[in-house]
Amino acid sequence: MKRKIAWIAGLIVGLAALHTAAAGQDAPDVNEIVERANLAAYYARADGRAGVRMTITDAGGRNRTRRFTILRRDVVDGGDQDYAVLFSRPAELRNTVFLVKKHVGEDDDRWLYLPSLDLVKRIAAGDRRTSFVGSHILYEDVSGRGLEEDGHELLEITDTHYIVQNTPLDPGAQEFSSWKAWIDKTTFLPTLMEYVDDTGEVYRRIEALEVQEIDGTPTVTRMRASDLRSGGFTVIEFTSVEYDLDIPASLFTERTLRSPSRRWFSVR
Amino acid sequence: MSPVRNAIEFSLNHPRSVLVAVAVLFIGFGSQVPRIVIDTDPENMLPADQGARLLHDAVKRDFTLYDMLVVGVVNEDDPNGVFTPEVLSRIHELTARILQLDGVVRQEVLSLSTVDNIEQGGAGVVRFNWLMREPPSTRDEALAVRDAAERLPAVRGTLMSEDGRAAAIYVPIERKDFSRRIAGEIEEIVAGFDGTEQYHVTGLPVAEDTFGAEMFKQMGIAAPAAGLIIFLLMWFFFRSLILVTAPMIVAGVTVVFTMGLLIGSGFTVHIMSSMIPIFLMPIAVVDSVHILSEFADRYPSIRDRRETIRKVMDELYTPMLYTSLTSAAGFVSLAVAPIPPVRVFGVFVAIGIALAFLLTITFVPAYVVTLSEESLAKLRGSDTAATEGRLLARLLGRLGPWTVSASTGIVAVTVAVGAVSVFGISRIQVNDNPVRWFRPDHKIRIADRVLNEHFAGTYNAFLVLRAGDQGGDLDAVLADVRTQLEAAVEADGPDIVAGWADVIASVPVDRPDRVEGLIDEALRRLDAADDEAAVLWDDVVLRLEDAQIAAKVFQTPETLEYIAGLQDALDRSGLVGKSTALTDIVKTVHRELREGNPEYFTIPASSSAVAQTLLSYQSSHRPDDLWHFVTPDYRAANVWLQLKSGDNQDMVRVTETVATYVASHPPPDGVTVEWAGLTYLNVVWQQNMVSGMLRALLGGFVIVFVMMLVLFRSVSFAALAMLPLSVTIAFIYGVIGLIGKDYDMPVAVLSALTLGLSVDFAIHFLQRARTIQRETLDWSATVDRLFSEPARAISRNAIVIALGFLPLLASPLVPYNTVGFFLAAIMATSGVVTLVLLPSVITLVHRRLFASTG
Repeated sequence: MKRKIAWIAGLIVGLAALHTAAAGQDAPDVNEIVERANLAAYYARADGRAGVRMTITDAGGRNRTRRFTILRRDVVDGGDQDYAVLFSRPAELRNTVFLVKKHVGEDDDRWLYLPSLDLVKRIAAGDRRTSFVGSHILYEDVSGRGLEEDGHELLEITDTHYIVQNTPLDPGAQEFSSWKAWIDKTTFLPTLMEYVDDTGEVYRRIEALEVQEIDGTPTVTRMRASDLRSGGFTVIEFTSVEYDLDIPASLFTERTLRSPSRRWFSVR
Repeated sequence: MSPVRNAIEFSLNHPRSVLVAVAVLFIGFGSQVPRIVIDTDPENMLPADQGARLLHDAVKRDFTLYDMLVVGVVNEDDPNGVFTPEVLSRIHELTARILQLDGVVRQEVLSLSTVDNIEQGGAGVVRFNWLMREPPSTRDEALAVRDAAERLPAVRGTLMSEDGRAAAIYVPIERKDFSRRIAGEIEEIVAGFDGTEQYHVTGLPVAEDTFGAEMFKQMGIAAPAAGLIIFLLMWFFFRSLILVTAPMIVAGVTVVFTMGLLIGSGFTVHIMSSMIPIFLMPIAVVDSVHILSEFADRYPSIRDRRETIRKVMDELYTPMLYTSLTSAAGFVSLAVAPIPPVRVFGVFVAIGIALAFLLTITFVPAYVVTLSEESLAKLRGSDTAATEGRLLARLLGRLGPWTVSASTGIVAVTVAVGAVSVFGISRIQVNDNPVRWFRPDHKIRIADRVLNEHFAGTYNAFLVLRAGDQGGDLDAVLADVRTQLEAAVEADGPDIVAGWADVIASVPVDRPDRVEGLIDEALRRLDAADDEAAVLWDDVVLRLEDAQIAAKVFQTPETLEYIAGLQDALDRSGLVGKSTALTDIVKTVHRELREGNPEYFTIPASSSAVAQTLLSYQSSHRPDDLWHFVTPDYRAANVWLQLKSGDNQDMVRVTETVATYVASHPPPDGVTVEWAGLTYLNVVWQQNMVSGMLRALLGGFVIVFVMMLVLFRSVSFAALAMLPLSVTIAFIYGVIGLIGKDYDMPVAVLSALTLGLSVDFAIHFLQRARTIQRETLDWSATVDRLFSEPARAISRNAIVIALGFLPLLASPLVPYNTVGFFLAAIMATSGVVTLVLLPSVITLVHRRLFASTG
């Protein structure tokens, strides 16, 4: 018994020492890193627009492409946001619209307009980890995962990246056990994210394939999400990215879904 | 004869060299046996490049389909069945642990806790969520899961039984040969559960893989058991361990050599080849029994080992050669079967028979020469006509004269039996089902029965519809666009026609998404064009997009309605437990998009409406489930059929129903229909088996008849020699038809064996009859002598072989039982037919028979 207590005490002292060592390395605070990464990845400037070419490749190497325009407007920087997506291709999906009003700390509001069925539907989803239009990207990848949902730990600082381990506080709420992000030290853009399942295996990966500076803002212009289990992946290319367009809030309402403004949705 | 005499002389002069050579053969080939690779995959009943198999593989690739285990959970102890918080939480836990098992295709596992629900979430709101993310904590919550599941056509009857008493988990596996291990691991998990609900694991892959494991065990049990029985019987007949040891060594070396050769040559051991030892064992001992029997009779008077052997071999060489040749011919005829494992089986048994013959004429003489004088002296005292011999002798002594006096009656009875047999043959049911290879009390059979009572069916077949050739259509559209452009631009703008030609040339014709490439290129021109040209390019893009939508044949309402009609026809036929297709997904999502109104459980009216419905479906946790039912280019669709029975006959009825429907309702757009799935593949190889076995049988019959012509140099004698085997085959298959035993894989293979084995007795009988008749010149005197020593030898051999196959009856595997029972029956029948029918027929024709041939 005595020996056991001594052993535990030793462990605690050891851990404390480790912790001090890590903290003493004049490393930035992990919370600051993830907050800056969140802003860089999801809140660049006040609003933005991009043309998107999405290529979904399945395990057998078969491709499907989808094209849409995406608009974003920050309601509060680092907080609530609006997203609107208008499909242009394939032709049978033309003018289909997704509208997402992202709320931090509570469920998002989502709408879907299906022109051929002449239907506007509000979508209630139990979580954000559903597929975005059948691709390997999830809603959460588009709009960002709430920082408050995970515990964050700075694992390592390399020459170029902060490597942050994120562990969900509610383990049953998502299909992964933890995820790791490689955050660029200068741009604070996450360039690699890996998701680990309950067997300890990395089963999902998101990579930034190309980063460009747009009007002085580092922007991911090509990314890939891979399902490592099936071998399928989705590549997203952003063309004609523009920032600070003063997109009106009135564009992101249920009423405008049926007649999306040509002006705002057309990209160069 | 001279090379054989040389071989015999060599063996007599250098017995030790022969014994050493046999030992080397035994050890050399025996060393290959541990490299054994078992293969019980019924798919391998078809060559790897066989058409139906290639199609099956293509379908699995096109629709990302995997072989699946089915785990069933049944709870009869609660009115709500499995929909109680306790049982659902165990299903939840079991699923979570199955997901972690090695070799499971995790993302494809289907369970109540891994699929999505789609339902109404209030006015104007459609809700997509996990059906059972967390196990429910109250009985009401558990019932809510049931109510939601009942509204999902893809779940009802598949993941939950209609009565709510059972739930299922579909476990796709990376490779079929993992199935037994994974089934075992699942059983281990549920063994730790403390509920009263029952768990069952089934599915064709488990049955097949488990069969392989049992088969391996049987090889270690049945073959040695057959050896032991033969050994004991011979000991009983000959009362001399020394004598009996020689045939046992011949049998042992033959079996080890043949299996060593088969395994060493890189062949896998399939169900049929696992029975090679059991077939070879009795066949291998027969000839040496003849030799030693004769040797024991003659040695006392000749008193010279070498001289006795020479005399014995002179006498027996011809019948031994011909019986070996005919047996081998029966097996070799299997080489024309289109079933690779059967071919391997036939050829290697034939090789074994040839080796047994060689060993008999070399090893046996060498063995006898090395025996000590004392043991040979003891031999003198051992009387082959022991107690049983006297009983047998008395019976046979009476049988002979009776066959002469009752000859007309015997022939008449035979004709009558033949007629009934032909009727029986006409009633033969061709059928098989790998799950039925286990006895009814095996856990796999029980699981199969229970789960198919509750669910729509655990046997899968895939009905695949493919669009017709698209190339022609597209080219027509491209040419049409050109004509249109030429008409539109007149003289002043030739530029766009050339531009269009450039667009077509810039995209390779064989690119899978050629239209997409053309549209991209046209859009580029559109962007660069001035206003006038832009209008034209815009038209071009629209035309191409129309062509692109039209090419997505299985997104059009017409084609989907066609599939729905086909599904209705299958439902009405009652042959299929359930069918699931793209139509069901589209209808379900459409209904939920329309406020859950059941009137909208329909296909929407346009291709784009269908596409938008499916886009909604794909915004789920499992978007890729769609691709099990349609290819991403919407050029092929898959209808998943669940059958309650894996019987080939039932599958055949389903294919016939579909063929009839397609004939009377031609599919739109040149759509063609094909089949895949393990249940269907079993039908294909069985049909090949039936026609292949018929060919093998006819081919073998002709070969054996030619051999008889050569041996007897008489058409009449050759015809007589074919008589017992013909009657035996007709009788055995007549019985199979009459008692309703399915004509399955082992039964099919037996036909060729019967041919080779049952002619043996006739050869011995007729050969001796002719020799004796030449001496006596009196048929009834000949019969008396025939029914002493020769008839006794035939009876003994029939008994030894028939009983030698009996250990197969104790096997838990039905094909082994079938082979054991029918081989024993074949031996008994052909022995009786030879000893009863042949003398009767000869009695009726002996004057002409012996007059013409001397």
